[in-house]
Amino acid sequence: MSILGGGIFKGMAVTLRNFVGSYINKKERLPTNDYSWRADGALPQSIGDYPKEKGEQLSDTTTVTEYSRNFPMLLHDGGEPMDTVRCVACQICERECPPQCIYIEKDYDENGKYIKRPAVFDIDVSVCMSCQICVEVCPFDAIVMNSQFELSTPNRFGGLLVRRDDLLKSNDYYHKIHPEEAAARDGKMATEKAAKEAKKKAAAEKAKAAAEKKAAEAAKEEAK
Amino acid sequence: MSLELLIDILIATVPLMLIFATLFAFTTWLERKALARIQNRIGPNKVGIPCTRIGLFGLGQPAADGIKMIFKENIVPRGADRLFHLLAPILALIPSMLVLCFLPLDFPWLNEDSVKAFLLDGAVIFFFAITGLNTLAVFMAGWASRNKYSLLGGMRAVAQMVSYEIPLVLSAVIVVMMVGSLNAGEIAGVQTGGNWFVFSPWGFAAFVIFFIAALAETNRSPFDLPEAESEIIAGYFTEYSGFKFALFFLAEYIAMFAISGLAVTLFLGGGDGPGLAVAPWLSAVWFLAKIFGFIAVMIWLRGTLPRLRVDQLMGFAWKFMLPISILNIFVAGFAWHAEQLGNRYITVITWVISLAVLYGAACGLNQLNRGKVRPREYKYAE
Repeated sequence: MSILGGGIFKGMAVTLRNFVGSYINKKERLPTNDYSWRADGALPQSIGDYPKEKGEQLSDTTTVTEYSRNFPMLLHDGGEPMDTVRCVACQICERECPPQCIYIEKDYDENGKYIKRPAVFDIDVSVCMSCQICVEVCPFDAIVMNSQFELSTPNRFGGLLVRRDDLLKSNDYYHKIHPEEAAARDGKMATEKAAKEAKKKAAAEKAKAAAEKKAAEAAKEEAK
Repeated sequence: MSLELLIDILIATVPLMLIFATLFAFTTWLERKALARIQNRIGPNKVGIPCTRIGLFGLGQPAADGIKMIFKENIVPRGADRLFHLLAPILALIPSMLVLCFLPLDFPWLNEDSVKAFLLDGAVIFFFAITGLNTLAVFMAGWASRNKYSLLGGMRAVAQMVSYEIPLVLSAVIVVMMVGSLNAGEIAGVQTGGNWFVFSPWGFAAFVIFFIAALAETNRSPFDLPEAESEIIAGYFTEYSGFKFALFFLAEYIAMFAISGLAVTLFLGGGDGPGLAVAPWLSAVWFLAKIFGFIAVMIWLRGTLPRLRVDQLMGFAWKFMLPISILNIFVAGFAWHAEQLGNRYITVITWVISLAVLYGAACGLNQLNRGKVRPREYKYAE
């Protein structure tokens, strides 16, 4: 039979080990202080007295690891953002979002015809819980997670609603912050595209063959 | 009232208030630092000397917190009872400050003629009577806020503090029985020379019960149900902000110091420690050091134990703590009579018997209270 209340002492031993260990073995016990993934292996000097200047940003690749995720962004393939935006305003992410923080409106041209891009794409920072479900459900690889974390604002009504134009980021930026993931996503998109084209080609050939057959049959009929 | 008496009273009280308020500031920093280290974080380390980049391990944090608290907006909810909403934090602070004067802290600037409240006949009774007021303040805050979370927290606090006051007082009764006095100075005096009450089976049992009940009385983890953040936001002070919140915070920590001080007086020999013959002023230092030991263990426990459920909390008070503290009174009475015989062998036998009885009773109660563990039934999952 174990000693009465022994579990408490066991737990206290664990916490004591953490407490003392954090002074002796800093690298293992203080993982938030471990910057060995950076090139120089140390905390950036600028963090010490941040913010030095107005508008200074820390959310870059030197202060966060490439596995850091915070808030979604919309991808475009370079050039004029709205010409190459991948999003087609299918609204799947809007429906899947657990806290309902995404709002999308489709874009129409002057004839009232649906053009495949969003007219409005808002995400509420104060509601978003960084679950990344929108990224997982997107069939067009149009929405991915950004690692930018400096999202605080003095304007609590408009400032916390991130608009479409602020969400748009180029694929090059994505490659810069999450190189591994971006490469994998590009590869996946390329294979998907190839498969789609192969299928299209096969379908076209089939249709061609069918048409030829039909023409041959018609010719046969005529010959009779 | 003569002027001399007024000066005497000020000499007796003002240092107490200053010392414990400073200790409070230091303790909040210490607690945050220790909890952070336990959770593999660094804790506050930025605020140091203003206008420089000297961090000083974040020792400026309490001052920064205080300045922030003072300048924050004082929000009173619509429909709240404004008068009692204001009175509650003040009423919480008064009793916890008041009981500090019943701790036998013999400061070097006190002489024979000074006002010493701890030499009052019945200082211990006074202590418990005045700490009992804390419950009222907590419930007042919960009720006056007109908020369901506050009211829930207040209700929980009343149930918990009333339940745990009984084992708390019953374990203090052991010491009072053994000394035959309620005078805090005398209780501490009896234990000089390492003759502490904690070094006996009944004294140790009473000490453990007292410590657990004191944790519950001061709403410390694992008994922090009245202010359970994950359940009822902040409990009874959900609707408090700014300086009123700071007052509650201060009251809570001062109550912690006071009850630790009483535990030191009753069980750990008050200001007793090595070097007193050479330097009598060490008495106050030892006393404060022992209080700090208590605070450190409380912080350590807070970093370790999860919160109890409400039924576990009440069950623990009434089904375990109460029977064992009543049994302990009988054991102590038996031991007192055995010690009167003055025979060394009988004393040893008494020790063994009382250890066996207390440990056996604790294990037996534990077995009796153990609920039947059934395999878990899953309603929705398969």
